[in-house]
Amino acid sequence: MSSGREIRVVVVGHGMVGARFVDDLHQRDPGGRFRTTVLGDEEYEPYNRVLLSEVVAGKLDVASITLPRNAHRSASEVLPGTRAVTVDRSSGLVHDQAGGKHPYDILVLATGARARIPDLFGRRDDDSLPAGVHALRTLDDAREIVAATVNAHRAVVVGGGVLGLEVACGLAHRGVPVTVVHGGAHLMDRQLDGPAAAVTTARLTSLGIAVRVGARTEEAVVSDGRVTGVRLEGGEVLPADLLVLTAGTYPEVGLAQRAGLDVARGIVVGTDLASPADARVFAIGDCAEPPEGGSGLIAQGWDQARRLATLLTEPSAARDDVPLPTVGTDVVKVKGVGLDVVAMGVCGAGSVSEGRRVRLSDPEGGRHIEVVVADGRVIGATCVGAGPVAADLVAAYTRGTPIPADPAQLLMRPVAGTAVPAASPTLMPDRAVVCRCNGVTKGDIVGCWRHGARSVEDVAAATRATTGCGGCEDAVCGIVDWLRRSDPDQPAPATATTSDAREPTPATTA
Amino acid sequence: MSQPAAATHCPYCALQCAQTLHTSDEGTVTAAGRDFPTNKGGMCQKGWTSPTLLRATDRLTTPLLHGQPVSWDTALSFVATRLAALRQAHGPESVAVFGGGGLTNEKAYALGKFARTVLATPNIDYNGRFCMASAAAGANRTLGLDRGLPFPLADLGGAQAVLLLGSNLAETMPPAVQHLAGVRAAGGLIVVDPRRSATADLTTEERGLHVQPVPGTDLALLLGIAHIVLAEGFADLAYLDERTTGLDDIRRSLALWWPERTEQVTGVPVASLRRAAFLLANASPSRGGSGAYILTGRGVEQSTQGTDTVTAAITLALLLGLPGRVGSGYGAITGQGNGQGGREHGQKADQLPGYRSIEDDAARAHVAGVWGVDPADLPRTGMPAIELLRSLGTPGGPRALLVHGSNVLVSAPDADRVRERLAALDLLVVCDFFPSETAVLADVVLPVTQWAEEEGTMTSLEGRVIRRRKALPPPPGVRSELEILADLALRLGSTVRFDTSPSVVFDELARASAGGRADYSGLSHARLDAEPDLFWPVPAGPTPHPGTPRMFLDRFPTPDGRARLVPVDHRGPSDDLRRDAPLFLVTGRVLAHYQSGAQTRRVPELVRSSPAPYVEIHPLLADRLGIAESDLVQLDTGRGRGVVRARLTDAVRADTVFLPFHWSGTSSANRLTTDATDPISGMPEFKVCAVDVQRWEGPVEVLEDESLLFAGEVVR
Repeated sequence: MSSGREIRVVVVGHGMVGARFVDDLHQRDPGGRFRTTVLGDEEYEPYNRVLLSEVVAGKLDVASITLPRNAHRSASEVLPGTRAVTVDRSSGLVHDQAGGKHPYDILVLATGARARIPDLFGRRDDDSLPAGVHALRTLDDAREIVAATVNAHRAVVVGGGVLGLEVACGLAHRGVPVTVVHGGAHLMDRQLDGPAAAVTTARLTSLGIAVRVGARTEEAVVSDGRVTGVRLEGGEVLPADLLVLTAGTYPEVGLAQRAGLDVARGIVVGTDLASPADARVFAIGDCAEPPEGGSGLIAQGWDQARRLATLLTEPSAARDDVPLPTVGTDVVKVKGVGLDVVAMGVCGAGSVSEGRRVRLSDPEGGRHIEVVVADGRVIGATCVGAGPVAADLVAAYTRGTPIPADPAQLLMRPVAGTAVPAASPTLMPDRAVVCRCNGVTKGDIVGCWRHGARSVEDVAAATRATTGCGGCEDAVCGIVDWLRRSDPDQPAPATATTSDAREPTPATTA
Repeated sequence: MSQPAAATHCPYCALQCAQTLHTSDEGTVTAAGRDFPTNKGGMCQKGWTSPTLLRATDRLTTPLLHGQPVSWDTALSFVATRLAALRQAHGPESVAVFGGGGLTNEKAYALGKFARTVLATPNIDYNGRFCMASAAAGANRTLGLDRGLPFPLADLGGAQAVLLLGSNLAETMPPAVQHLAGVRAAGGLIVVDPRRSATADLTTEERGLHVQPVPGTDLALLLGIAHIVLAEGFADLAYLDERTTGLDDIRRSLALWWPERTEQVTGVPVASLRRAAFLLANASPSRGGSGAYILTGRGVEQSTQGTDTVTAAITLALLLGLPGRVGSGYGAITGQGNGQGGREHGQKADQLPGYRSIEDDAARAHVAGVWGVDPADLPRTGMPAIELLRSLGTPGGPRALLVHGSNVLVSAPDADRVRERLAALDLLVVCDFFPSETAVLADVVLPVTQWAEEEGTMTSLEGRVIRRRKALPPPPGVRSELEILADLALRLGSTVRFDTSPSVVFDELARASAGGRADYSGLSHARLDAEPDLFWPVPAGPTPHPGTPRMFLDRFPTPDGRARLVPVDHRGPSDDLRRDAPLFLVTGRVLAHYQSGAQTRRVPELVRSSPAPYVEIHPLLADRLGIAESDLVQLDTGRGRGVVRARLTDAVRADTVFLPFHWSGTSSANRLTTDATDPISGMPEFKVCAVDVQRWEGPVEVLEDESLLFAGEVVR
């Protein structure tokens, strides 16, 4: 392939979405038309950011969250520790902090998001935080929190969203007493309504995690450069030698802003993931703001990576249209030891969309399930303490499968099917199959009893029951015993009809 | 006069239950189970009733030319003349061969030799491509070798955990269930199946765990369990260090499959994933357990990601340190009677006898030497089954097809397209003992012997080479395929020798396999008669080789002796759900029938047990769709429409319907399945596609009169 026809793609950001995009692109490009250069801010290889809370919880070590190596090294160059500083769109160049220039035909921004640091620390000249205070966004953050837990006596988590709850559960799992402080009226208010959050709070409390909702933090209490607590609105001070900030994120938009691209909360892109200001520039992942809004979830970012790779590699003639966002990338499941919270689609108090809501409210049982259905499909659900029902709802929601005529059926798993009453030959219908391997029914066994079989061996010889896998031996034995009891060696059929007072006799069968 | 009893094996599946065939003074044959390590004297209904096959009223006993009885000379002369003319006009590649996993080793070998020498065509493949191709590809690229079970089946008896993926052996090979008694007692049987099958039922009452994933997500499930094994520190690091390569890449690839994501993709709750991982880990030797096995079947292999799924299953086994340890391991449960031997001796498009690659020059030279031909004249790799079937009668594609031991019209996916392709051929020749759906379409049908009428060998699911023995002479007019191939070779002017005695053919096979991965050179019919416990490889040597019941104990047959950990990722089914096909269709077997039903549908006892096709629908789905028990329902997929009776059961997921595949006609499953294939193994995705399910409002006669089905299509 001549270099003149090569399409140069520069990807800014080597996180989960940037790395996935590079893989998706080259997988779809066996002819080798594309060449990618990836600028990664961090020195590390890309890692699974979703699992940082598991590292904090001590359930995973740092080594086990490293993502797969770049499998397309001949067509793709990764430059770790390279920070993009400016984009010169007129000449198609990205400048890095070391003065390097990276020419592109296509620019993909996958710069991610950074942690929102609440205003608790007065004036700060740089990004530094007092000792004992950590956000949780990067591998370094996770490492530092893990190190801090060794000596921590009292932790406070500021922000009761998904990440906050995961961190709180993780710290509790490590044996650190922890309090979650949340400014909103209830926990996880993006996903849960009041009743669901109440059940969640009760569950956390039973795990030994203190929860303060509607509690605004005013400032961190710092002594000798080290945090000792956090002061709430009203003056109460919660003591803490470890303060974890999980107060949300901001899309990382600085580079896009400086490049003159449209930026709202995130980098504005259309359904085609391109900036309206420049058709050569795309944004995916947490930094992007597509028409449907950014969820901050990895499934959305990966879906965007796949769609963009498809857009770039498949000529438009081969496609129906711009691939639309996949339904069902907004499932949230809290990864917390002992906590079972799943939310998807239409959920939470704020959503006032179409749909029929069906609810199972069981606060004493630690359970709250709400399903929203429309047009014969699940369009949203909230599951707290729902166990396997949540997994079923996710499958139905993400795949759009038809739901039961009565959506209330979605709230419970049916009890296990009734077993064949093998223990009670009396109740077993004649056509019930006793020996599956040989298709032998109870009626067949009764029939061979009437022809003189008196033992399991006799029955086996006559019907071949028990001669396959042998699993029905107990059942056949039971039927033979029952026959012996209810029809004690009286071969003449005429006498059998008088035994109605006892168990129903085999005379009526066969 | 009474015949001596014949100690042989059942004609059906790969378990090859030992049976004794007794012939009465009146000439009636009966079957009895015979004690053997695999079946322990047991047989299922199919085995017990197998002698009925010998009395079938429509047994083929005379060659048919365009449906009319003709002499053997007329039939073979017609075939030879037409083949010669086609070869002359269009080249040797214009003739193709389609074999079967039910043929004896001798027949499979002779068929491959016939195709490569007499026909000189690369285009030979077989229905094992529907059966074992993904398991073979997965095992070859990781363990360096593919033998279904690289250990005796009876070894399962001592296991503390068995993970069974996509196998319903309680219905497909019931006597094998005896070997699960120990693991069930230990509470360690884990069955992965979207349906609560008879095998899944074996896990009830604390005997294990049934995992019921969304169809087509088995690969994700395995990756999720493997993630947990690594995260929890269950991996056998000493074993991984000593016996494998690639751990770092596997660790990285599994970082993408954390439990919560796995739950979202598979629909399996995290708690079940963790329980499966814990059961396996606690049973693993490195953690003091008494042994664990991971076994795959067609349910996970008949998929466009089948090779990757097998690879992931093996990865999980390697992480736990199972393969190559006595009492633990990975295995694939072979389906067809000779699915193992059938793939070793040369009817697969890319293989020569002895499990040799047809692209390997040394292998070509060796085999050509045994056959007495120039290695340069041997063809190269031909088309795999689905590609072969799709190309029939197309410009540049084969114009003649010889079919042996396969009923492709019922057993191949997207069967209506197969019918079109068969109709486009200039010549279709079918060797069979019954007028199967495929035979009925043939220009020439040649009647051949069946199991009780012939000598030979089969290689069972555990790699044990066993003897098939003759109980009675074939009906007058019937010939063995060995005779037919020898005759055709002569008529086509070939000088290559084709013996007709099975034991002589076996000796030649043994020589051809010498030095190959499946080395049979130390075997003969006489030795197998004396020693029924020989597992390949059994190389020839100065002293008799004892065979290899357990493989990989010292090293893996890879260049460096280590197993390969190969990272894979989940993509999902090729025909995924969409708005107008919002449900999964999964296919499978029932106990009373085997494969396309060409044999079992001719046995009255089996028909009585399972008389007609049906579709399993969850009561909640049926309720929504207004379908009652026994109603006719229409199933629409991207391939076509089927109509079949409903059976309501909560054994299936509410987003899935199950259709057994043993029947032809309006309810034929494979008219609905997709022929999309695995990119590595060429195996089609029988097991999952998207379907729309509705109540059938048309006339009930549709079950007999398919034209109504097509009329309905037009109206729509």
